[in-house]
Amino acid sequence: MSWEGFVSGLRSAVVWVMDAASVPVLVYFVLINTSLLVLVVLAYLEFRAQERRRATALSWQGAGLAPGVSLLVPAYNEEAGIVTAVKSFLTLRYPRHEVVVIDDGSTDQTFARLEEAFDLVPLPRELPQEIPVRARVLGVFVPRDGRTRLLVVRKENSGKTEALNLGVNAANEPLVAMLDGDSILEPDGLLHVTRPFADDPTRMVATGGAIRPVNGSRVVSGRIVRVDMPQTWLPRIQLVEYLRAFLLGRTGWSRLGGLILISGAFGLFRRDVVVEVGGLEPGTIGEDFELVMRIHKRLRDEGRDYRIEFVPEPVSWTEVPVTAKVLRNQRRRWHRGLWETLWAYRSMLFRPRYGRIGWLALPYYWLFELAAPLLELFGIVIVPLALLLGVVNVSFAVLFLVLAYGYAVLVTLSAMVVDEWAFHKHDRWRAISQTIVASVLENIGYRQATAWWRLEGWWASLRGRRHVWGVMTRTGFDEDPA
Amino acid sequence: MVVIGGALVVGATVAVLGACVLLVLLVVAVRARRQLRQRRDEMLLSPLRPPLITVAAGEDDDGTAVHTLRRAAGDSRTVLDRNIVGLLTKIRGVPAEQLVGVLEKHGAVHAAARELTSRSTVRRARAAQVLGLARAGDTVPLLVRALDDEAVEVRNSAAYALGLIGDAAAAGPVLSAIGHPERGLPAATAAETLQSMGVGISEVLRAGLHDAHPRTRMVAAHLSGERSFTRGLPDLRHLLDHDADVTVRETCAAAIGRLGRAEDVEVLARHTGQDEPLSLRRACTTALGELGDPAAVPALAGLLVDPDPRLAELAATALLGLGPRGREALVAHADDPAVRSARLMASLQRASA
Amino acid sequence: MSALAGDPDASPVRVLVADDDADIRDLVEFKLTQAGYAVEAVADGIGAWEAFAANPPQLAVLDVMMPGLSGIDVLRKIRESEFASVPVLLLSAKSRDSDVDTGFEVGADDYVIKPFSPRELLHRVNGMLARAR
Repeated sequence: MSWEGFVSGLRSAVVWVMDAASVPVLVYFVLINTSLLVLVVLAYLEFRAQERRRATALSWQGAGLAPGVSLLVPAYNEEAGIVTAVKSFLTLRYPRHEVVVIDDGSTDQTFARLEEAFDLVPLPRELPQEIPVRARVLGVFVPRDGRTRLLVVRKENSGKTEALNLGVNAANEPLVAMLDGDSILEPDGLLHVTRPFADDPTRMVATGGAIRPVNGSRVVSGRIVRVDMPQTWLPRIQLVEYLRAFLLGRTGWSRLGGLILISGAFGLFRRDVVVEVGGLEPGTIGEDFELVMRIHKRLRDEGRDYRIEFVPEPVSWTEVPVTAKVLRNQRRRWHRGLWETLWAYRSMLFRPRYGRIGWLALPYYWLFELAAPLLELFGIVIVPLALLLGVVNVSFAVLFLVLAYGYAVLVTLSAMVVDEWAFHKHDRWRAISQTIVASVLENIGYRQATAWWRLEGWWASLRGRRHVWGVMTRTGFDEDPA
Repeated sequence: MVVIGGALVVGATVAVLGACVLLVLLVVAVRARRQLRQRRDEMLLSPLRPPLITVAAGEDDDGTAVHTLRRAAGDSRTVLDRNIVGLLTKIRGVPAEQLVGVLEKHGAVHAAARELTSRSTVRRARAAQVLGLARAGDTVPLLVRALDDEAVEVRNSAAYALGLIGDAAAAGPVLSAIGHPERGLPAATAAETLQSMGVGISEVLRAGLHDAHPRTRMVAAHLSGERSFTRGLPDLRHLLDHDADVTVRETCAAAIGRLGRAEDVEVLARHTGQDEPLSLRRACTTALGELGDPAAVPALAGLLVDPDPRLAELAATALLGLGPRGREALVAHADDPAVRSARLMASLQRASA
Repeated sequence: MSALAGDPDASPVRVLVADDDADIRDLVEFKLTQAGYAVEAVADGIGAWEAFAANPPQLAVLDVMMPGLSGIDVLRKIRESEFASVPVLLLSAKSRDSDVDTGFEVGADDYVIKPFSPRELLHRVNGMLARAR
C-alpha cells in the first residue's frame, strides 16, 4: 500500500468520525464543564451558608448528645508512623472516642512498636461476628492501664476490606470512621464531622469530611502546625484537583441530596447501618463508594427516612503521590473502582424510588466521570489528526481548545475563588499564584495522562485482571515520629 | 471539511479568557479586601485596646479605662463593641459585668433587640448572641420568637442566648422547637441550652417525652437521665416499651439505668430478650449494670451464654459490679472468654486507679 | 497583688502563656505582669513548645484549643521532657468532663474553664507556685 493510499484512507476515516462526532464532542465538553459550573454555583451557595455559620459561630464542645466514635485504623507494615498516628488519634478533642487498630498480618515491627509504646496486654475477648470475616483473628490487645481507649486486633493477612470489617465488629461506639495509617486529622475534626449526627440523631446515617493534601505542610507529632503548598508541581496540581473535585463536587452534591461518594480518607458512618448492609464488600476496589451506594439502595428500598451529609471543613489530611508511577496506580485503581461500583448498581439508574441519586447523581457519574477519559482522549487524538489531515480548519481546533481546556480552567478558578472566600487556609500570596499556575498546568499533560491511566484501569477491569496494590512509599515527613 | 466561523471562535475565546482573567482578579480582590478590613479594624481598635485589656483583666482600679471605653464613638465604637462581645464569651466576673455596662452605655444591647428583626441573617444571629452575653433577661420573649427563625444560625444563637440567660420559662419553647417541621432547632443546641437552665424544667421534660417528634422525645429522655428527673420514670418505661424509634428507646434505657430503682430491673431485663434489636439489647444490658440492683443478676446471668460475644461481655462487666451475688453468677462461666475478658479489664482498671 | 513573697531582689518568676486568641493572651499577660511575673506570651502550640524548650519557665498557662499542637499535646511533651515537674495550668472553653479528665491524666496541675475570672486565674497561679516551692 502506498503512502498516499494510507493517508487517504486515514483521512476518510477521520472525516467520517468527525462528521459524526465533532458537534457532539464539543457539546459534551461544554456540558461537562457547565455541569461543573452548576456544582460550583451550588457550592457557592453552600459556602455562603457556611460563612454565615462561621460568622455567627458558637463553639460546640460536644455536650451530651455527641455520639461516641470508633476510629478504625487498618495497618499493614506501617511501623514507621503507626505509633505517632495512634497517639495523635487518641488525643483528638472529643468527649468520647476510641481507636481500633487492625494489624492485617504485618510482617514488620508494626505490632511490636505498638506493644511497646502502649504497654499492650492480651485480652481474651471474643469479637462479635456481625460482619462475616474469613481471616482468623490472632489476638486482641489493650493497654495495661485499662483506661487508654485503644484496642489492637491482630489478624491473618487478607486485605484492607476484611481489616475494616473486623474493625467494625470490634468497635464499641455507635459511629465508625475508617482511617488510613497515614491520615492526619484536625484536632477538632471529630467535632465537625459528628455535628450532623448530634443535630439529627434519629436520621443521620453517614457524614463525609473534606480531605486535603498534606504535602509541603509542617507536621509535628501528627499535627499540622503550618499549612503550606507542596514543593513540586505534581502534588500542587493534585491540590487543585482536590479543591475542585472533592470539595466542590461533594458540597454541591450534598445540597442536591445526591451524595454518592465519601472520600476514602475520611468517612463517618453509623455502625449499626454498616452492619445492616453487610459491611464493606471484599474484592471491590472502590470500597467506600460501594458502601455508600449500598446504604443508599438499602435504605431507599426500605423507604426509610435518612440523611447523608458532607462537612466541607477540612477534617483530614493525606499524603498525595509525588511520583508519576504511584499516581498512575492510584488513578487506575480509582477509575476501576468507579466502573465496578457503577456497574454493580446500574439497577438504580432512573428509577423514581431512588430519587435524585437515580436520575441525577448516577447518570452524572456515568457520563461525566466514567466516560470522561474516553472523550478526552478522543479529543486529543482525533482533533490534531483531523487538523493535520485538513479535515477541520484551524478555527475549529482553536475553538475546541478553548472550550475543552479554557473552560475547564475557568471552572477551576471559580473553585479557587470560593475556596479563598471560605477557607483562606494558605496565608501567602505565593500560594495563590502557585495554585493559579497549577490550574493552568493541569491541562497541559497532567489531565491527558490521568485520562489515559483511568482508561487503563477501566480496561484492566473489563479484562478481568486482578488489581495489584502498589506500595505507597511513605516519605515519613513527620518531624518527630515517636 | 468542518468549518467554524471565525467570529464564533473569537467570541468564545474572548468570553472564556476574559472570564478567567476576571476570576483571577476576583481571587486577588477577595483576599485583599479581607486583609484591608483586618488592618482597618486593628487600626481603629488600637487606641482602645490597652484600656480594654485593662478592664478585661480586672486591673482597672481607678475606673479610667472603663471611662475611656464608654466614651468611644463612631466606627471605633462598632469595632470595640464587636471585640467586647467576643471577650464576653471568654471571661466572667466583675470585668465581664463592667464590659456589659459599656455595651449598654453604647446602646448596643438596645440595638441588638431591634436587630433581631433585621433582614440580614448574620445580624440577627449576632444580635441574639449579644443579648445572651449581656444577660438581657427582658428580651426573653423576643428570643423565644427567634427560635422559629428561618435561618438555623439564628435559631442556634437564640437558643444559646436563652441558655445563658437561664430563664426556665423558655425551656418549653426550646424543647418543642426541636420538632418544628422545616425549621427544627438542632438537637445538640437544644440539649446544651436546657442543660444550663435551672431546676424548674421537669414538667417541660415530661411534656417532651410525649412529644410527637422522635428527636424531641430523644432529647427529653437524654436530659431526664442527665438531670435526675426521677418523676419521669413511668414515661421513660413506657417509651422503652413502645416507642417506634430505636434511638429513642436506647436513650430511655440509658436514662433508666441512671435514674432507676429496683422496680426498673424488670423493664430493662425484658428488652434484653432475643427478639429485640441488638443495639437495644446492649443498651439495656449496660443500663442494668448501671442501675446497680442485684435483682438484675438472673437476667444478666442468662445473657452470659448469648451468641453475641459483646452482649455476653457487657453482661459479665455488669455482674462484676453487682456485689457477691453478681460475682457468684460468674463462677459457673469462669472460663468463657466474655467473663475472662470482663475480669481482666476490671482488674487492669483497678490496678492503675 | 505581688507574687513575690520575701526576697525583693530575686529575679521575677517566669511564666509562659500560650493562647492563639490575642485577647486572652494579652489580658493574661497583663494580669500576670501587673502581679510581678515575667511573662513570655506565644500564639500557638509549636511556639509554646519551642519557647519552653529554649528557656524553661517556672509555670506555664496553656490554652487547650490551639491550632496545630494543642495545649494537651504541649503538656504531654513537657511531661516527657527533662523539665517534667514544671506546674502547668490548662485553659479551655466550656467543655465536657472528659476534656478535663484528659487534661489531668496527661498531668495538668489545674484546669480553668472559659468563661473564667482573671482574678481567680491569678489566685490559682500564685497557689501553684507557692506549692511548687
